[in-house]
Amino acid sequence: MVKEIPSSTQSSKSAAKFLSALTAGFLVLNASATSSGAQTFNRAFAVSPEKSELEVVNQAGTIKVTAGANPNKIVINARHSDGATKINATQNALGKVKVEVTGRGRVDFEIAVPTSSSIDLLSYQGAIVVKNLAGAVRARITEGDIQIDGLRSARVDASCTQGNVSFSGEVLPSGRYTLKSFSGRVDAILPADADFKLSASSFRGGIDLGAFEMKFDKNSHQLVEGSRGAGRASISLWTQEGSIHLRRKP
Amino acid sequence: MECRAVVSSLSDYLDSRNVWASDDEVEQIETHLTNCPTCRNLKLELSEIKNASRELPLHTPPTALWARISKAIEAEISTENGIARVTQKASGWWGWLNSRKFTFSLPQLAAAGAFAAILIVAGISGIFGEKPSPLNFRNAQGSLLLPEEDEIKANLERRMGAINARKAQWDTERRSDFEQRMNRIDESLKRCRNMLEDNPNDAGRREMVRALYDEKRQLLEDVERLKW
Repeated sequence: MVKEIPSSTQSSKSAAKFLSALTAGFLVLNASATSSGAQTFNRAFAVSPEKSELEVVNQAGTIKVTAGANPNKIVINARHSDGATKINATQNALGKVKVEVTGRGRVDFEIAVPTSSSIDLLSYQGAIVVKNLAGAVRARITEGDIQIDGLRSARVDASCTQGNVSFSGEVLPSGRYTLKSFSGRVDAILPADADFKLSASSFRGGIDLGAFEMKFDKNSHQLVEGSRGAGRASISLWTQEGSIHLRRKP
Repeated sequence: MECRAVVSSLSDYLDSRNVWASDDEVEQIETHLTNCPTCRNLKLELSEIKNASRELPLHTPPTALWARISKAIEAEISTENGIARVTQKASGWWGWLNSRKFTFSLPQLAAAGAFAAILIVAGISGIFGEKPSPLNFRNAQGSLLLPEEDEIKANLERRMGAINARKAQWDTERRSDFEQRMNRIDESLKRCRNMLEDNPNDAGRREMVRALYDEKRQLLEDVERLKW
C-alpha cells in the first residue's frame, strides 16, 4: 500500500531537492573554475595617441581590439588557463607595444588602444575582432574568423587560411583594403556612396556585388574588376573556396 | 653588439626577423636599436624604402613582347650569319674544328647559352626518367607562366627549408595540421596552374595562381612569426 504524503510535506521536499541541486551545481561550477585555473594578465602602456603601434602574436584564442577611453594608453587584459603559457608584453624605444604568447594554451585578449593606433595582429587559431579604430589594421589568422567593424582607416589587410573575413567601415580616398580567405567567405559592408576600384576573385563560391553599380573591366563568375565613382580607393577581395559578398551599409 | 654588425644584419632582420637568427641575436639587435639613434634612424629609413617598394605596381610584360624579341634575335642572326659561317673540310671534323676560329655576336652567344641550358635540363630529366612536376614552373613551350615565378619559388623554398629544419621538434598534431594546410593550398595551386597552362593568357587564372602563392607565403610567415 502506498502511503499518501501530505501536500505541504511534498512541497517542502521539492524545495529541499531544488536547493540541493542548486548547491551541487554551484559546487560543480566552482570546482571547474578552480580546476581550469584561469589566470589573468593586465598591463597598461603609455603611448602617443598620434602614432601608437601595437603588435600581438598569439598562438590560440581571441584577440579583440577596440578604441579605448584613454587616448594615451594601450590597456591589455588577457585570460588564459594553461600555466605553461607565457605572455610577454614590451614597449620599444619608439613606443611600439609588442605582445607575444609562447606555449600551447589558449589566451583571450581584450585590448583597448587609442583610436588612431596602427595594429598588427596574428593568431594561429581562434578569432580576431577589431572595432571602431582609425589606424592601419593588419590582421592574420590561420584558422578562425576575422571581424572588422566601424573602421575609419586608409589601410586594411585582413587574411585567413580557414575562416571568414568580414569588414564594415568607411572607404577613404586613397585607402587600400585587402580582404582574403583561402577557404572561407569574404564580406564587405561599405557606404552607399563609396568610391573605389574593385578586384574580386573567387574560384569556387561566386561573387555577389549586392546593390553596387559599377563600371566593369572584367565581369565573370570567378573574377570581377571594375570601379565605382572615380575609383579612388582600392579594394581587393579574394577567396579560393568561399564566396564574396559586397553589401551597402544600411 | 657593435653598429657595424647591426648595420650588416639590418636588411635581413627587416626581411624575416625570426628566421635568420636566434632569439638571442634578435634581442641583441633590438637592444642595440633601442640605444643607438643612428642605427635606429637607419632602420627606419630601410623600413620606409621597403614599404615604399611594396607599393610599387608589378608590371607584367605583354606576351607579344617575347615574340618581338624572338623575331629580332632571328633577324640579327640571319644578317650576321656570314660572321660565323662554317664549311667543313674534307680532313675530318675534329681537324676542321681545331683549325677554325669562331666569332659570335652577343645575341648568338645568348641564344646558344639558352639552347645549351635547355639541352642539359632535357638530358637530366631524360636520364632520370622524371615526369614533369605538376608544379613545374614552365609551360610546354618553356616560357614562364608568371614572370616572377622563379623568384617566388626561391623565396618559398628558402623559408620552407628553415621551417623543415625546425619541424622535427614539433609535436605530431602541430606537424600534421601544418602539412595538411600546406597540401591543401598546393593542390589548389596545382589545379589553377594546370588551368593556366591550358590558357596562358587568362589574366584571371594568373591572379589566382599569384594569390595561392601568396597564401602559401603567408602560412610560412605565420609559422615564422609564431616562432615554431
